[in-house]
Amino acid sequence: MTDTNVAVENQDIPVQAPEETPPAKKSTAVDAISRKQLAVKILVQIALYTFLTLMAITVLFPFYWMLISSVKTQGEYEATIPTFWPQQFKWENYLYLFVNVPEDNVYIANEFNLGKLFLNTVLVGVVSTLLSLVLTVLSAYAFARLEFKGKNAVFAAMLATMMLPGELFTISNYVTVSGLGWLHDGMGVFTALVVPFLVSVFYIYLLRQNFMQIPNELYLAAKVDGTSDLKYLWKVMIPLSAPTLISITILKMMGAWNGYIWPNLVGQGVFELVTVGLRGAGFQNAAGDTLYPVQMAAIVLVTLPLLLVFIFLRKYIMHGVSRSGIKG
Amino acid sequence: MDEMVQEPAAIEEPVAGEAPVAEEIGTQDGGKKPPLSKEEKKIRRERVMRVIKPWLYLLPTLVVLAVFTVWPIINTVRMAFLADLRDVSAGGDPIGYDFLKDMGGMYNFEFTFQNFAYVVGYEGFLTALGNTMLLTVVTVPVSTMLALLIAVALNSIKPLRKVFQTIFFLPYVTNSIAIGMVFMAMFQMIGYSPASPPTSVGIVNTIIEAFGGTAINWVNEGSSYWANMSVLFFYIIWNALPFKILVLLGGLQGVNKQYYDAAKVDGASRVRIFWKITVPLLSPMIAYVVITGFIGGFKEYTSIVGIFGEKYMGPPGSMGKPLNTMVGLVYDSIKSNQGSASAAALILFVIIFVVTMLNLYVSKKKVHY
Amino acid sequence: MKKKFGAVVMAGALACTMAASLGLSGCGGNGTKANFTMPEGGFDITKPVTITFSHTMGQNLRGVLATHLAEFQKLYPNITVVGADSAAAGNYDSLRDLLYTQIVAGNQPNIAYCYPDHVATYNTAAAVQPLDDFLPGGAYADMTITRQDGTEVKLGLSEEEKDMFIDGYYNEGKEFADGKMYCMPFSKSTEVLFYNKTVFDNELFDGEKLSVPTTWDEMEDVCRKIKKKYPTSIPLGYDSEANWFITMCEQLGTPYTSATGEKYLFDTAENRAFVQRFAGWYQEGLVTTQTLNNDKYTSYLFTENGVNEETGQPLPRAYMCIGSTAGASYQMSDENQGEFEFEVGITSIPQANPEKPKVISQGPSVCIFKDDDPQKVLASWLLVKYLTTSIGFQAEFSMTSGYVPVLKKEVMETNATYKRLLDAADGKGNLTALSAKVCMEQEDAYYTSPAFEGSAKARDQVGALMAAVFSTPDKIDEIFKTALAECKRG
Repeated sequence: MTDTNVAVENQDIPVQAPEETPPAKKSTAVDAISRKQLAVKILVQIALYTFLTLMAITVLFPFYWMLISSVKTQGEYEATIPTFWPQQFKWENYLYLFVNVPEDNVYIANEFNLGKLFLNTVLVGVVSTLLSLVLTVLSAYAFARLEFKGKNAVFAAMLATMMLPGELFTISNYVTVSGLGWLHDGMGVFTALVVPFLVSVFYIYLLRQNFMQIPNELYLAAKVDGTSDLKYLWKVMIPLSAPTLISITILKMMGAWNGYIWPNLVGQGVFELVTVGLRGAGFQNAAGDTLYPVQMAAIVLVTLPLLLVFIFLRKYIMHGVSRSGIKG
Repeated sequence: MDEMVQEPAAIEEPVAGEAPVAEEIGTQDGGKKPPLSKEEKKIRRERVMRVIKPWLYLLPTLVVLAVFTVWPIINTVRMAFLADLRDVSAGGDPIGYDFLKDMGGMYNFEFTFQNFAYVVGYEGFLTALGNTMLLTVVTVPVSTMLALLIAVALNSIKPLRKVFQTIFFLPYVTNSIAIGMVFMAMFQMIGYSPASPPTSVGIVNTIIEAFGGTAINWVNEGSSYWANMSVLFFYIIWNALPFKILVLLGGLQGVNKQYYDAAKVDGASRVRIFWKITVPLLSPMIAYVVITGFIGGFKEYTSIVGIFGEKYMGPPGSMGKPLNTMVGLVYDSIKSNQGSASAAALILFVIIFVVTMLNLYVSKKKVHY
Repeated sequence: MKKKFGAVVMAGALACTMAASLGLSGCGGNGTKANFTMPEGGFDITKPVTITFSHTMGQNLRGVLATHLAEFQKLYPNITVVGADSAAAGNYDSLRDLLYTQIVAGNQPNIAYCYPDHVATYNTAAAVQPLDDFLPGGAYADMTITRQDGTEVKLGLSEEEKDMFIDGYYNEGKEFADGKMYCMPFSKSTEVLFYNKTVFDNELFDGEKLSVPTTWDEMEDVCRKIKKKYPTSIPLGYDSEANWFITMCEQLGTPYTSATGEKYLFDTAENRAFVQRFAGWYQEGLVTTQTLNNDKYTSYLFTENGVNEETGQPLPRAYMCIGSTAGASYQMSDENQGEFEFEVGITSIPQANPEKPKVISQGPSVCIFKDDDPQKVLASWLLVKYLTTSIGFQAEFSMTSGYVPVLKKEVMETNATYKRLLDAADGKGNLTALSAKVCMEQEDAYYTSPAFEGSAKARDQVGALMAAVFSTPDKIDEIFKTALAECKRG
């Protein structure tokens, strides 16, 4: 393990250990390595790669299985010896998710309309993210830049609520949204999906930390120039905190995409989000057989957007995740 | 959280003027003061604004928090302690709180511990508690150990590291319901019935058979508890790895290389270095992932729904949700009996609280900062 | 320190006032509606009144309803009926959940599709209007009302109108703990035995023809004979495990549930014995159910005629199937240019005691919710009475839905179209008519189960119990215990 040139890729790991020291001088150490030690080193490297490869295969296998299963024919899927590569690609499995195909006796789109589920989910995701960002920015600003009585107490009280498990809120919130009459139609359920989760104390905390790192001199200078608070917030603080805001946006969208418990509780049968629809659908053809490949195709389409988002926005996701420990 | 506490005087703006402002507001209506000049009025208005403004910024947040966070805390405790006991005197069960019943006014809810007694006495409670504990105590240590090994391995290689890192993070960005359904498909026997052999034993069993093992009924009708649990262990560990690897690798990359160089000079073995240097240096991160892992473990629910579905929470045709968890217990009665749901949620909260405190206590003794 | 404390208290107070101002203090109350009292002068046919109706009808049935609503409105031009938020077609559980939250929020409809146990749930908030005052002998039964066309009718249900109903269906509305009538039957279904008439009439088993079983002992015998000749078959499919259990209790006279006192009575030695017996059938491959058939209706087995491509063996197939009359069209064999693969016979399900036959009654009823405006309650009652006693509506609704009318056969036969339909009934293309006919002919056999909050749970649990014992018969004691514990769970 003489390898010293380790790049710190994730600058934003929660608890930062001591600053990295400059690379150690390795000349003397390297000179001392005998042939034997080199052999050991190579063996160790082989062992490491083997281990990592095995683990990577385990991690990747479900994705692989999902993908190939989604294009198999029903017959091949049920074959006694499973095939590791489709003998015949049946892309219609994806078509079935969006339209009825009477000649194949498949009417899955009647019950499981993926287009509508996507639309619902994106709608909830976008609206709740936008509103939530506004609330988060305003609160974080107040906590970071404004001075008022009871600030620390209110902030501490808010942080304390983070310790409580979500189930504690869900029960009463279900009562509340029922009482408010939000569960009767699509619009009401939409409201019930958005409003209770507009405030995330964790995001406020995250953004507040970010805001506080912005030098106070900038603010005072702006004050002298007669810039209003809101303008300063918009022109200076938001651009400077863009990475955190992007992280929040992505995590919030992921939350809408992956949410199951609450959307299932309030929206089942009325206004369904994609995960609820996926779990509830039977994927049966008109003869009552479960079309597993079609189910897999649906899972692929539900999983893929997130994987793409991850590949393109990896940095921001890890930034947010490493601090939260909360999925989605 | 520590950071937050250390941050009280971040803003240097003078605050001295605040208290008088508040007093002035209080006495404004006294009417005894001489009329104010324009200038004075403006100053006064600004001062008032200074007090009100922060609250205006916070208003939407506080309203949402009040209705959907603060009120639920109060209401959940309230509901947990309300039940109609009139049946109890006649040897029946208490009627737990339910808002529809509350509304009709035909029930007589009173303050009582009956909901808690009822939840604890319910046959499914021990099942749920046992399952939750089992899932937690198995998956947290295993996934932490595995994540640690992977992180150390990743930290010791150079080519392909980024590729591996990306792969290991993938399970994190997936939908636990959707991938749970994939795991179901992998372990499932197709065309299974007790009277006839399955048409296919499924991919996992095929692999097991290829290595000379015998096919096992993992998830189908009539499958055993331990077979079901093994699938859950596997899935939950698979799902829990990414976050742990991310945090532990981050920690490793922050470790001062001098420690290792010193150890090398001393001729310490790799295993020794791992236990004597890596683990102690990483202990804060390990503590962090273990604690969050325990909290997450006690809230396990969707992975089971993903694989087995909400209806059975067990293999098809099973009775009484044999794989139910504490969170499942809460949601089972959320629509019909908010009293017992609330009681179960409070019990869960206490368990999580105690376990977290225990964790913190242990880590305080073991963690090297 | 003191300052901080003050702020916390302030924040808390603020939160509580906000919560309280939203009316969430928990006492609710906004949903409770006044009890009905007859307004001065009875129903006012001049004042416009709008009522809402929540149901789970699909597109076709909505069409039927609309036609007959138009007729109704000719008689009562002041009443407007609008569809309320409704659940997906046929999804009664979703409708129940929806109505539950609507009652809490105080915006329930005036009329709703219901099952008796739903009514029991709504009634925990005293939300449903008892109908007794409008029934024969009731306080308002003999009041009269003059309709737009000048005819004068009774406001309530007359004796003659009551006699039109099949007794079993009518009495279902009274199965509540307080003995009051809370719902009227709307359209019904029951279970019948579908059998492969072609095979029964033509094939020889052990040298003789099969006779259609009328008792469970005969059923066992027939199943064995079929299994012997066709080892890959599953001779009998029974769709609903829950119906099977509850019907067996009725047939044997053993306890199931009670609306008063101890509620869940089904854990008895006799009940265990019949479950054990049928579990043996399942293990032998004589029978399967919907749950155990991978959640597929067993009608798929009944109409199956394929061959396993790999082995060349015929695919598992059923020769008898006990299912809902509402699903009769699914039992029809495949048609090829007017030729059916086989003819279907329909008869009553096997009995434990043929002297006292018992068959289940299913399908939606309608209930009326209380409303602060008594005119709305009266208008709702007039509509419910109209729809349930209109022979034309019952006939058309039945023909479109596959459900059967709630009125007696001789009453329905006064409708020429419906009579033609019944006369044309056969085991090939007109299976729905045949099932309706069988259904109406066994009118004396209908039983109803007590309805109380939790009766649906009992139903779910005994169904799950059957499936669980079938797959693991050795755990029967444990499974009964679990079922009972799950029922009692509040």
